[in-house]
Amino acid sequence: MTAIVDPALAADARRERRFFLSLSLPALFIVGLAAILPILWIIRQSFLTTGGEYTVGNYEKVLSSGLTWSALLTTLELSLGTLVICILLGTPLALALASARPRVANLLMAFVMLPLWTSILVRTYGWLVLLRRDGLINAALTGSGLTAEPLPLVYNFTGTLIGMVHYMLPLFLLPVYAAMRDIDANLVRAAASMGATLGHVIRTVILPLSAGGIFSGSMIVFIYTIGFFITPAVLGGGKVNPLSIRIERTLSTFQDWGSASVLGILLLVLMALIGVMFLAARRLMARNKVGAAHA
Amino acid sequence: MSWLRISLAAIAVSAALPVYAQTVTITTAGGDYGNAMKEAMWAPAAKELGYDVREETQSDGLAALKMQVTAGTVTTDIIHLGSPEGAQAAAQSLLEPLDYKIIDPNSVPAGAKSDYCYPFDSYGTVMSWNTKAFDENPPKTWAEFWDVAKFSGRRALRANAQDLIEIALLSDGVAPADVYPVLSTPEGLARAIKRLEAIKPNVSVWWTSGAQSAQLLKDGEADLVVTWNGRAQTVKADGGAVDYTFKGSVIGTDCLGVPKGAPNKEAAMKLIAAMTQPARVAKLTDFIAYGPVNPAAYEGGLIPEDRLKTLATAPENAGTSVFSNADWWVKNGEAAQKAFDEMMNR
Repeated sequence: MTAIVDPALAADARRERRFFLSLSLPALFIVGLAAILPILWIIRQSFLTTGGEYTVGNYEKVLSSGLTWSALLTTLELSLGTLVICILLGTPLALALASARPRVANLLMAFVMLPLWTSILVRTYGWLVLLRRDGLINAALTGSGLTAEPLPLVYNFTGTLIGMVHYMLPLFLLPVYAAMRDIDANLVRAAASMGATLGHVIRTVILPLSAGGIFSGSMIVFIYTIGFFITPAVLGGGKVNPLSIRIERTLSTFQDWGSASVLGILLLVLMALIGVMFLAARRLMARNKVGAAHA
Repeated sequence: MSWLRISLAAIAVSAALPVYAQTVTITTAGGDYGNAMKEAMWAPAAKELGYDVREETQSDGLAALKMQVTAGTVTTDIIHLGSPEGAQAAAQSLLEPLDYKIIDPNSVPAGAKSDYCYPFDSYGTVMSWNTKAFDENPPKTWAEFWDVAKFSGRRALRANAQDLIEIALLSDGVAPADVYPVLSTPEGLARAIKRLEAIKPNVSVWWTSGAQSAQLLKDGEADLVVTWNGRAQTVKADGGAVDYTFKGSVIGTDCLGVPKGAPNKEAAMKLIAAMTQPARVAKLTDFIAYGPVNPAAYEGGLIPEDRLKTLATAPENAGTSVFSNADWWVKNGEAAQKAFDEMMNR
C-alpha cells in the first residue's frame, strides 16, 4: 500500500472505511437482536424467581441437582461418541475422496452432501423407519436368520448416536477433505520414492498435514452436538436425556424459567469452554509446528 | 414507493373493519384434536355469533400461556389446556376468572367445577395392547400389566408422572377411591415411584407426545402401551391390531381458559359459552373419542348409543376409574415430577 499524504485523500479513505464498516451494520444489528439480546434476557431470567424477585436460588437448585450433572454427562457422552465415530469413519472417507479422480470425487461428494439438503426431522424419522423393531434393518436381520430376535437399534443411546453421526459426518468431512486435497502430491511421491509404505505415508505425511482440517471438523462436531435436541428426543425413546432435553422439560413440565435459563447458561458456558480449549490446542499445535520448522 | 402507500391504505381500511367483525383468537393443540374442536365446536359457534375466529396451535399450551402473559404480549383470547395445567395456570394468576354470568354454571358437574378454566371434555388414560401379541388373553388389570413374567412384552409409558403415579398405585392394590388419600401421605408418592422403577427395565419407550404413542401401537413397536383412549381408539378404528380397556383408567378433563389480559375478554367468554353447548360437545365425539363433561350432552340421544362405549365418562365405563385431581397436582406436581425424573435417571 502506498502511504497517502494528501489530507483530502486521507479524509476520503476514512470516509470510505466508515462506509464499508456501515455496510456491516445490518448484520451486526441482526446478531444483536437475535443472539445477544436473548442471551442477556436469559441471564436476567436466571436471577429471577417465578414472582420476579432477584435470587441466586435458581443456580443453587440447578447446580445441586443430580439431574443436571447426569444430563451434562449424557451430553458429553453423545458429543464425544459422535466425534470419535466421525473421525474413524470420516477420515478414511476424506482420504478416499481426496485421492479419487476429480470426476469420481465430485460424484461421491454429491452423495455425501445430499443428506445436508434434507430436513433433520425427515432424516430422523427416516432412521426410525429403518431402525425400529420391525423396520427394514431388523426385518433383514431376522428374515435372513442372522439374528433370532430384533436388535434394539433405536429408542436408546445407540439409535441416538446413529442419528447424530449421520447428521454430523458431512460437516466433519468438508474441512478434512479440503485439507487433504491441498496436500502437495509431490510430498506423497517423495515419501514413496524414499521407500515409505502406504501406511507410513498416511501416518507421517497425510495425517500430520491434514491435522488442521481434522481439528476444525472436530470442533464443528463438538460445538454442534452439544445442543442437539431433535435427534435424542425422537430416537432416544425418553431414555437419553442430554441438557437440551432437560431444558425443554424444565420449561414445559415445571414452567421453571429461572432454572431453564440457568441450564441454558450452563450449555453456553460449556460451548465456550470447549471452543476455548480447541483454540488453545490449535495455537499449541501451530507453535510446535513452527518450533519443528526451526529445529 | 407506491406499494407502500397502497399497503398503508390497506392497513387503514382493515383497521376500520373490526367495528363490524369481532375477532377472537383461540389456541388449541392442533392435529386431529384441534381440527375436531374447530369443526364441532368453535367454527359453528363463531358463525352463530358472527365472530371472526383465528386459530393458533401450540403443543404445550401452558408454556405458551405463561410466555404470553409474563412477556405482556397476550395475543390469544382462549386457550385450550389440560385441567391440571389449567389449575396450575390459575394458581400462577395467568388466567382471567370465568364469567359465569355468560357461561352457564350448571353445565359442569360440581366435582369438575373450576373458576378459571372451563372443563369441556374428558379422556381416559388407558391400558392398550397389540392384539397380535395377546389374542384372547391381554392383561386385565394394572397389577397384570406390571406382571412381566406372565405378560411378557415391551411396554411404552408416557415420560411424565401425570396419571402414571395413580396407575402405579392401582397396580399395587390401592383402591381407586384411596389413590389420592394414599398419595397425600408422605410415603405414598415414594410407593408409586418404587412401583414405576420396578417396571422400568421392561419399558422400551417413554413417549412424549400422544401422536408418538399412537405410532408405537400402530407399528407394533410396543405390545403394551399406556395412552389416551382417543389415541388408542383412532388406531383401532384405522384397522390397527389394537385394543384397550377403560378398566382402571385415570380420567382427566381438558378445559378452556382466558389468558390474563386477553385483548377480547368478553367475546372470549361468549365464544366459550357458545362452543360448549351440549350439541356441540356431543358433536366433538364424531371426530375424537373424548366425552363431554356437561351431563346434558349425554341426554336426548345427542351421542349415538354405540359410541358411548368409547367414551371414558360414559356411565358404564366410569366405575373402576380414578378422576385425576387437579388440586393435588397443583400442590404436589413439582415434587411428583422431580421424583419421577430422578427415578428415570437411576
